[in-house]
Amino acid sequence: MVKANKARISELEEMIQIVLLAIPREISAREFYLSAVAKATSDASRTMFLNLAEQEKGHEIWLRKILNDLKTELGGLKSKN
Amino acid sequence: MKKDDLKEYTGKDGKPAYIAYKGKVYDVSKSKLWANGIHMANHKAGQDLTANIVMAPHGEDVLKRVTLVGELEDKEPDLQIPPDIQLQVNIKEKYRQLYKKFHPHPVLIHNPMGLFVFSALMQAIYILSKDVSFERAAFYSTIFATLTTFPAILSGLFSWWVNYETTFTKIFKAKIIFSAILCVTSIIVCLLRTLIPNIYIEEGLLNIIYNSLIFLNVGFISYVAYNGGKITWPS
Repeated sequence: MVKANKARISELEEMIQIVLLAIPREISAREFYLSAVAKATSDASRTMFLNLAEQEKGHEIWLRKILNDLKTELGGLKSKN
Repeated sequence: MKKDDLKEYTGKDGKPAYIAYKGKVYDVSKSKLWANGIHMANHKAGQDLTANIVMAPHGEDVLKRVTLVGELEDKEPDLQIPPDIQLQVNIKEKYRQLYKKFHPHPVLIHNPMGLFVFSALMQAIYILSKDVSFERAAFYSTIFATLTTFPAILSGLFSWWVNYETTFTKIFKAKIIFSAILCVTSIIVCLLRTLIPNIYIEEGLLNIIYNSLIFLNVGFISYVAYNGGKITWPS
C-alpha cells in the first residue's frame, strides 16, 4: 500500500511539473494571438486570432483546474504517509 | 431536452445527429464533418461537447453553420476557474505583467554565471602561471559573483511565485538547493581569502578547500542554470 502510494506520489509530482510549465505557455500564446488581433488587417483574420486566443484561455483554465486537482490528491496522499 | 434524450440522436440508423454546447442543442446531421454522427473520428453525436470545444482547434463560431434545435435542461456547468484560484490569478496578474516586461531573472542570472566562470578561469591561469594579478582577478570576480547571486536568486523566487505558484517540483527543488549551496560556498571563498590574504600561496588543507570551492562554484551555478533551461525548454 505504502509502495503504491509512493509510486502515485511520484506520478503526481511528475504531472504537476508538466502542467505547471504548460500554464505560462498558454498565457503567452494567448497574449501572442491578442497582439496579432491588433495587427490583423481583415475581419476574418481578426476573428481567427480572437478564436485562437480564446482557445488558449480555455487551455489555461483547464490546466489550472487539473493542477488544483493534482495538488489536492498529492496533499491527501502525503498526509496519509 | 435532457442529456438522456440527447443520447438518442447519434446520427446512426437514420436518426438525426445532435450535439450540445453550453446548454444549447444543435443538429449537425447536414454537416459533412459529422458523417454517421462522428466528427474527426473522435467526437460522437448524442453528447454534450461543451468541454471538448474548448480544446478543439476551432472556436464556437462553427456552430453558427448548424441548426439550433433546442436547449438542454441538465447542462454542464460553465467552465470557469474556481473562485479561490481566480483570486490568486488576479492578484498575480499585475506582477506577472511586470515580470513579462522586464524579465529580471534571465537578465540577472547571467551576471553570477559569467563571473563565477571568469573567476575559475583566472584562478586556473594563476595556478599555471603564478602571476598574482590573475589571482587578484579571481578573488575580485568571486566577490562580484557572490554579490550578484542574491539579486539573481530573488528574481528567481519572484518568477517562481508569479509563474509557478511556488510549487515544489524536482526542477525547482534542484534550483533552490544548489542556489543555497552556491551562496554558502561563494561566501566561504570570500571570507577565506579576506581573513587569510595569503591563502592562495600557503600550502595545506585550507588552500585546497579555497581552490576547490572556486572551481566547484562553476559546477553549482551550471547545475542551477541547467535546471533553468529545463523550465524554458522542457523535454
